[in-house]
Amino acid sequence: MSLSLVVFYLLGAVCLGGAVGVVVSRNVVHSALLLLVSLMGVAGLYLLLLAEFLALVQVLIYGGAITIIVLFVIMLTRVQEFRAMKDNPQWPLAVVAALAMFVLLAAAMIKGAPSETTRQSVSFEELGSSLFTQWAVPFEVASLVLLVALIGAIVIAREGGEE
Amino acid sequence: MNYLLFAPEFTLTAVAFAVLGVDLFLPRDKKGYLPALSVVGLIGVFVLSLRYLWGRDTDLYDGLFLIDNFSLFFKAFFLVLGVMVVLSSVDYVKKHLSRPGEYYGILIFSILAMMLMAASGELLTAYISLELLSFSLYVLVSYGRHGLKPSEAGVKYILLGAFASALLLYGISQVYGMLGTTRFDEIHAALLLEGTPLNPAVLVGLVLIIAGLGFKVAVVPFHMWAPDVYEGAPTPVTAYLAVGSKAAAFALILRLFSQAFMPAFDDWQIILVILAALTMTVGNLVAMAQQNIKRMLAYSSIGQVGYLLMGVAALSPLASNGVILHLVGYGGTNLLAFMCVIVFYNATNKEEIADFAGLADRSPFVAMAMSAALLSLAGLPFFAGFTTKFYLFTAAADGGLLWLVGLAITNSLISLYYYMMVMKQMYMVPADDNTPLNVSMFSCGVLGMLLAGVIIIGVYPGPLVNAIQAATKAILP
Repeated sequence: MSLSLVVFYLLGAVCLGGAVGVVVSRNVVHSALLLLVSLMGVAGLYLLLLAEFLALVQVLIYGGAITIIVLFVIMLTRVQEFRAMKDNPQWPLAVVAALAMFVLLAAAMIKGAPSETTRQSVSFEELGSSLFTQWAVPFEVASLVLLVALIGAIVIAREGGEE
Repeated sequence: MNYLLFAPEFTLTAVAFAVLGVDLFLPRDKKGYLPALSVVGLIGVFVLSLRYLWGRDTDLYDGLFLIDNFSLFFKAFFLVLGVMVVLSSVDYVKKHLSRPGEYYGILIFSILAMMLMAASGELLTAYISLELLSFSLYVLVSYGRHGLKPSEAGVKYILLGAFASALLLYGISQVYGMLGTTRFDEIHAALLLEGTPLNPAVLVGLVLIIAGLGFKVAVVPFHMWAPDVYEGAPTPVTAYLAVGSKAAAFALILRLFSQAFMPAFDDWQIILVILAALTMTVGNLVAMAQQNIKRMLAYSSIGQVGYLLMGVAALSPLASNGVILHLVGYGGTNLLAFMCVIVFYNATNKEEIADFAGLADRSPFVAMAMSAALLSLAGLPFFAGFTTKFYLFTAAADGGLLWLVGLAITNSLISLYYYMMVMKQMYMVPADDNTPLNVSMFSCGVLGMLLAGVIIIGVYPGPLVNAIQAATKAILP
């Protein structure tokens, strides 16, 4: 087994372990921190695939911004109400569905395994120029999505308050 | 690169910002200018698109964004639809909703998103456009005043929508991982190269894409959210959900399956056939049991999705014509039906089917418009529904799906039953309170326009069919 494969399995275990922890943990704060672990694992996977920019952004945005916001939200809402989180009675069904999905995807991937290729790193300049030339449409539309989300969040949140 | 080809999208974005911006400076009693501004903007973009883009066949950004008659037809359709939705919102928003500026602004953003969906020639562009549409709709659905039902609708729609997006994205990543491209024409070429049988990993990706899009258009078994969301959302938004988001998703589905996944036709046809049969049957059977008019229309629109899916399953130029025509005809009809519900709700604050008792005495015009809409939905002659269903069912039969067409006709008969029940309420059952319905002249005008549209498509579909044939030619030469 090559070194990169070992690293891959390690990182995979970190991602999966973190994700399972998020779901299983009874404490919301622990869940948020475990989410951070899982997201960092994903950043590691990106690095392994030579996608440095993605790894960087993953750490900055998901590791930094998103997790911090989640923690802030937890702190600003009344945590007492969440302390004793109850399981949805449908959780065994969800486990079965998730496992079935996993088996299906795994089987499909094993049967139709893609041929091996060597991955090459994409330089930051290349990424930037293709993002602003060929991929300009999705890039700009993404900014509109964020704008709508922002306006929407304000509209929905203010619905309760006075005009 | 000729950026003029992008003019409709740029202009529409500017209109949306103008609405949001003007809203900041308008005093509260002048907010009525906002829908006027929106309508003028939408009509302006409509004229602009038709003048500059008709007959062009080119692409921008290396095939990410396609300019052809197919995208132009849907652009025009979405803009007209936008105008109608804005017009039908005017009274409702004034009466029941606060913050009209954001309402109309986000509505225009969602129309922009639908135009982008119909024009995208690549999976990621399509996905992000779909996401813009979904985000706009999440906001619009949650717009209702406080109360359990609007909140339930909003939360349900956001959660399930996010889940559906995840499925879709997973499917896209699977397809990209296996075929190495997200562009429709390159996927087509890669699939041809691979030959049969289809690689199971690609098939899984395709199934996930179908499931993700299926959620968005409420295909059985992914339809559970639809009735609750339709009931809880503000009624104009419900109408928009039932017509606009479905039309946009079907535009994407038509292009995706004809331009990208056509080589794998044998693999996905059977999936769509099963989904179509399930969707039309469950939708129409459950609709019979509904007490609330919006829930009933929700299930009936699920049934309509079944017919449309049948058309996609028989994909050919003829079937594509049928699907697009039915989208337009069903869209107009559904808008008419929902407009009647809006008018009724504005006057009475009620929306149970039982409340429609004696409507024929209280407001003969609204009752007549509602009957026309219901009969058209059932597919009776002289109305849009008959013509469009006729085209669609013939095309499906021509594509060899005879038994499915039989099932569709049976379902149409079932649907006639529950539409008739509403008409019975309106015409045969006396009302508790016989005061005439207070309907503004403006609402009557909108109703009249929609009614005229439904009847014109029903008796004289020629020009529309010609335009649709030109659109189909762009995706299925």
